[in-house]
Parts: sequence; C-alpha cells; structure tokens
Amino acid sequence: MSGSWREAYRLQSRAYPELAYHAIYAVRQGNLPPSIPPSELTTRATRRVVESKVLVSALLALVALGTTAALRPGVEGLIAPYLARELYVATVLSGLLVLELALLWWTGLQVLPTFLSSGILPTLDVLPIPSKTVDRVGFLLFLRLFDLPALTILILTPVVAAIGLGSAWAGLAILPGTIAVIVFALALSLATGRFFLRHVQGSPGGPGHAIVRWLYLLLWATPAFAMYGFLTFGPRFVGWISSVAASGPSPPLEALFSAFPFPLAAVPGLLAVDAGTLSGSDAVPAAVIALASGVYLGLAVAAAAWLAEAPAGFSRTSMLGRVAAPRALALHPTGPVLAVLVKDLRVASRTPGFAFLILLPLLNAVAIGVWTLLSAPSFGDVFNIAAAAVATAALLATFFGPAFFAIEVMGFGYTRTLPLSDRSLILGKVTLITLLYLLSSAIVLGLALLRVFDPVAYLGFIVAELPAVVAAALLELGVLTWVARRKGLPITNLYSGGWWVAAVAIPGFVVAGSPLAVFELLRSVSIDAALLVMAGISMAELTAVSATALGLSSGGAR
Amino acid sequence: MDEPSRSPTPLEIRGLVVRYGERVAVRNLSLAVRPGEIYGLLGSNGAGKSSTMKSIVGLLRPDAGTVRVFGFDPAVDPLEAKRRVGYVPETPLLFEALTPREFLEFIASVRGIEPATATRRAQNYAKAIQADSELDQPIATLSMGNRQKILLVAALLHRPRLLVLDEPFHSLDPRAVRVAKELLQQHTTEGGGGVLLSTHTMEVAEKLCDRVGVLDRGVLCGEGTIAELRGATSGTLEEAFLRLTRDADGVREAVHSLGEG
Repeated sequence: MSGSWREAYRLQSRAYPELAYHAIYAVRQGNLPPSIPPSELTTRATRRVVESKVLVSALLALVALGTTAALRPGVEGLIAPYLARELYVATVLSGLLVLELALLWWTGLQVLPTFLSSGILPTLDVLPIPSKTVDRVGFLLFLRLFDLPALTILILTPVVAAIGLGSAWAGLAILPGTIAVIVFALALSLATGRFFLRHVQGSPGGPGHAIVRWLYLLLWATPAFAMYGFLTFGPRFVGWISSVAASGPSPPLEALFSAFPFPLAAVPGLLAVDAGTLSGSDAVPAAVIALASGVYLGLAVAAAAWLAEAPAGFSRTSMLGRVAAPRALALHPTGPVLAVLVKDLRVASRTPGFAFLILLPLLNAVAIGVWTLLSAPSFGDVFNIAAAAVATAALLATFFGPAFFAIEVMGFGYTRTLPLSDRSLILGKVTLITLLYLLSSAIVLGLALLRVFDPVAYLGFIVAELPAVVAAALLELGVLTWVARRKGLPITNLYSGGWWVAAVAIPGFVVAGSPLAVFELLRSVSIDAALLVMAGISMAELTAVSATALGLSSGGAR
Repeated sequence: MDEPSRSPTPLEIRGLVVRYGERVAVRNLSLAVRPGEIYGLLGSNGAGKSSTMKSIVGLLRPDAGTVRVFGFDPAVDPLEAKRRVGYVPETPLLFEALTPREFLEFIASVRGIEPATATRRAQNYAKAIQADSELDQPIATLSMGNRQKILLVAALLHRPRLLVLDEPFHSLDPRAVRVAKELLQQHTTEGGGGVLLSTHTMEVAEKLCDRVGVLDRGVLCGEGTIAELRGATSGTLEEAFLRLTRDADGVREAVHSLGEG
C-alpha cells in the first residue's frame, strides 16, 4: 500500500463513524439525534449501520439459497422440460446476477444521499491533505457503504454455483461475472445518483417540472424493476425459453445467449454440464458468448477505472440544476391530511428511493395487466391473473408502506414544532398507500376488462380487499409513529431503520394477506361466497386495527 | 393571533432541567416573557440556550420543571402550545426536497391558514426580506441565509403570539437583519405578542431586547433590562456579560496568551 493509500485508509477509518452518524441520525437533513451522550451516538450509529448491512446481506443470502435449490438436478425438468441443462443453468445464474445487481444498485441509491450530505470530503478539502489522498478517502468511504452486501455476493455466488452444479470449477467460472456485477452496481449507483441529483433532486418547482421529474423517475425505475420482475416473471421466462428451444434449432438460442444480461453466467453451465447444445460442431453460440463476455468484462474494467475517481468528484458536485424564473407566489393550503400526502408526493418526486416505492406497485400492475391481456384466453384465467395482480398490489403497497414513514426524517427537527397531530400524519400516509393500491388495481382492472368484460367480479375483489389494505397501513404507521414519539427518532432508510421496517411490515403483510388467503381457500366452493367472507374479514380487521392504531396516536403531536 | 389562552403570559418557565445523559445542559431555569416584550437569552456556546428553546417548542422533553406557553404545557398539550408559537431554529435544516413555495404551503396547511391570507402574508414577508427570488428552487440548493429567511417567513405566517428565535440573525444579510428587527418590534408593539430570542451579538440584545437573561453553563446568572445588567459600572453589555459569567479574567488570560504567540 502506497503512502497516499495508507493515509487515505487511516483518514477514512476516522471519517467512517461520521458517515454512520449521518446515515442513522440524518442531522444534515434536518433530523434531531436522541438525547444521549455524544460518545454513545456514534457507537450506536456504527452498530446500527452494521445491523442494516447484515439485513441486506441476509436478503441476498436468501436469494442465493433459492438459486441453489433451483440449480439442483431435476428441477429444470419441472420448470423448463425442453431446455438443455446448460441453458437452464445459464438462465438461472443470469437471473441471480441480475437480482444481485438490482439489489445492490437499489441499496446504493438509498445510501448515496447520506454519503453526499455528510460533507466529509469538503471538510477534508480545506485541510492540508493532498487532494489525491482526499479523493482516495472518498473512494474508500464509498466502498464501505457496500462492504458487507458486496462481500456476501462475492462469496455466496460462487458457492451457489459450486454447490448447485456440484463442481468447484463452476464456482470459479462465475467469479468474473460476480465481480462484474458488483462493479456495475456500484457504477450504476453513482451514475444514476449523480444524474438524479442534478435533474431530479435539483429540479425547480412547478407542475411542468414535476411531470418531467416523474418521467425521469419512471425511466430510472424500469431497470430497477428488474429485481422484482425477475422474481415474478423469472420462472415464466425460463418456461418461455424452454418452449422456444423445443420449437427450433440453435439460432434462437444464440440470440438468447447474446441477449442475456450476463453472458458470463453461461460459462459455469458449460463447464459443469457434459457436452450439449453448445459443444462440438456448434461453435457459433460459443463465439457469441465469448464475444459478449469479453464486452462485459471490458465494460466492467472501464467502470472500475471510473469508480476509482468518480466518488470524490461526485461528493463535491453541486445539486443545483436549472434555475427557475421566479413565479408569482400563490399558496394553496389544504387540510393537514392532504398536506402530508402532497408533501410526501413532492418529496418522492425528487427522491428516487421513495419514488421507487410508489412506482413499483404501478409498474407491477402494468406488467401483469399486459400479461393478462396477452395470455389469458377465458374469464376464469383473466380473473385468476387479475385477482393475483390485485393481491400483489395490496401486498406490495402494504409491505413497502412503512418505508414512507422514512420521509419524516427530513426536516424532522422542524416539523415536530408544528401543530401536526400524529393522527393527521398517519392518515396522510395511509391515504397514499390506499391510493397506490386503488391505482394499481384500476390499471389491472382496465386491462383485464379489455380482455373479458365483467366489471362486477373484478370490482368485488378490489373492494373486498380495500379495508384490509387500509387496516394494514394503519397498523404499520400507527406502530411506527408510536415508536418514533417515544424514541424521538423516526424510522429512516434501509440502512438506518431496516429492522423496524421489517418488524412492522410483517404484521401488516399478515393483515393484508389474511382475506386473500381465505378467498383462495373458499373460491373452489363459490367465488361469490368467497368474496363475501373476504370482505367480512377485511372489514373486521379494519374495525379492530383502526381503534388500536389511531388510539395509540390519539392526541399526540410530534 | 386569535387563539384563546389559559394565561395572558406568553411564556413561563419554572425550574427547567434538561440533561443529555450525565451532562446537564439546563439547571433549574426559571424565566418569563411578558406580553409585548422581546426577551433576549445571552450565553456562550453550550450555555443551554438552544436546549431551553427546544423544550419550549416540544423538541425536547424536560427532565424536570415546567414550561407554559400562554398557560399550555408543550409536554401535555403539544398541539395547543405549538399553535401559538412560531419557531426559527439555529440551524436551518428543512425538507431539502421541497421548494420554499412547497414548504410554505405545507406550513400553511398544517396551521390551517386561509389561502388568501397565507398568500398575502407569504408575499409580504418574502418580499420584505428579499426571499422572493428563490421560491422555486429546492431548499437543498439554497444558501444558509436564504434558508433562514424562509424559516422566518414560515414562523411569521400564522402570526403567532409567541416567537421563539434561536440565533435568528446570524446568517442573514444586513438588510434582512434590519427588516427582521422591524418585524419583531411590530409583532410586540402592535400585536402584543412576546418574543424569546437567543443571540451572541450584544448589539442585537442592546438595541432590540426589553429584557435580557444571561445563561452560563445552564444557569441563569443574571436577568433584567440592559440598564439593570450594566448596573452601577455603566460599562457595556459585553462587560456586564463577562462579569456575570465570571469570564472576564479568562478573556484577559486568553488574549494575553495569544500575544505570547
């Protein structure tokens, strides 16, 4: 290690607790730290950052575990009976890499604002430290944001390939693809983060700019949607490849291989499986894979070189985008509940992490709706898929609902001085979650009706689930507000309050999911009866939860 | 300004204690801000000024003692107390992702101000302190001074009966400071409201405050009008401050040691 790197490493180890402090307490974003001795603040912050990294890593490990199971011999016969083993392996491993990329990228977008707002590099810039050393401090701090999740990917992906395919060579063969994934995720986090800093976060106010911001966010969310899309549509995608493979010789497969997000994922399959489709005389696909892999590796090297320099410059980038011409000042105040809702939408429109929570259920609804339109032939099929889509929308909206509470960390030190009741705060956020559910359901309904026109059945399902969605959101936000009032700290992002989000999302998930489960059990008897029971349970949940959740928050001002 | 009160006194603090773990930031503090009065809280860094103010606006729960805002305890009736207070924090950290216009709209909504009234007041205050040119830029991109101007507009928007201002002038330009001082005097003389402000600047305290309290390591070590604090010495307020905080010798020693190089 050169002197400059050694000094950079020493400085980053001093600066890192500061980064953790800002990640947990978001002081520069207007939050107030709890009233505990200052020495305990950094210790607690550092510990909680580690806990949150463990949580993300556990999620990655869970995905890896699922992939190991999918790679066991014989499983492909169930999912993709016509697909050659090596193609199946390549598809599954490619899916794993895409999921890892998306999760790490998404994590990066969650934690980057902390890196930027910590102001560590500008502080070091004015000290007599060589600028190259300061740049390296920035690079090392940036890497530390991802350390545990990135290490989890780096270790578990080869282990998954080795165990799943029963070959240590397969584990080694996936290593270049794994490293490329980590480099791409970090580079994408930084590049998209900078883009959004200037064009979304720094965007002026006004309806026109708001539309442009949401369009940018939609563009950004589409690739990030891959994470969820692969989980939802992965098996169907493999099945589709299987049917393509059954219908023709190798040319479509060559095209598929070259189109894979990670052609490097094909190598373990070829190593682990005996000669198959791509061996012997059929050298063209192998050449396509080799070429595509080379391109990917080249890109990864370029991205790594860019990453070595970019984080430092990024942390000094001005957020100011286009300066807006002053408009006449006219305020349009509303009631407090609507004010919370509008404020959250405005904050989300400049914060990709929150925008994603809004766009995910909507994109999911569009994807499943289009799938329904294209694939389902009869009322029964359409209803099944539409009901599944509505159920997914309900579960997604309530599962991600607690994260909307994190918006409150911004300006928390000021908004707590306002006469805003906990009840208004909760109802504002519950309204947002409910609207997300209704909008997602409306998209599915619209697309399903184009295929089979039977609005009563679809509407019945949506309406029967509605009280359960409201109940789940009330429960989650009621508990979070109660905890925040007592602890004096709102739940923040994935890296600072992950445990709390998980702790309340699970009961919320159960409340939203119970009527759906009962419907599933009873639908074979009669759909009408199932809907009736579902609505009854849903209403009962809302009655019970609203009394508890709003009771918890009664009279409290933040 | 029409909120009914339980007491005519804008602010009464009795035996306030604020602790951060083992460290005691405010020790047994008692003071009152009378109607139509600007009360200045003077003190060195870490004297307990901000902790006192945070207890008044509900950001800190006192470890002992009581705070009453027009008779309402912020710990017991937080909504009632907060309705009557306008607050400018020392560090202007707000919703970074909102523009000032969006932020003021949120404040007006939470405080239940009519659209026409909110617009008129926001226009007037923003224009007066020259904050009207950057109302559509995200707050994250604004300078500290401009953020503080927006906070001042937000604090005045509902015409509160008690203003709690923590170092309200330290990032403002001279023109804005002058206008802000006029606004505060107008608030107390015409509206009969009370103002509690903390400051390090003796000139601000001398020119603006009707009464001053001197805090030293969490203890109120002196209170009265400027003339009373100066006492018989007829010195400056700065000298009175150093005498009250028993720091005059410390300052002399510090200056002497600087001379030694």
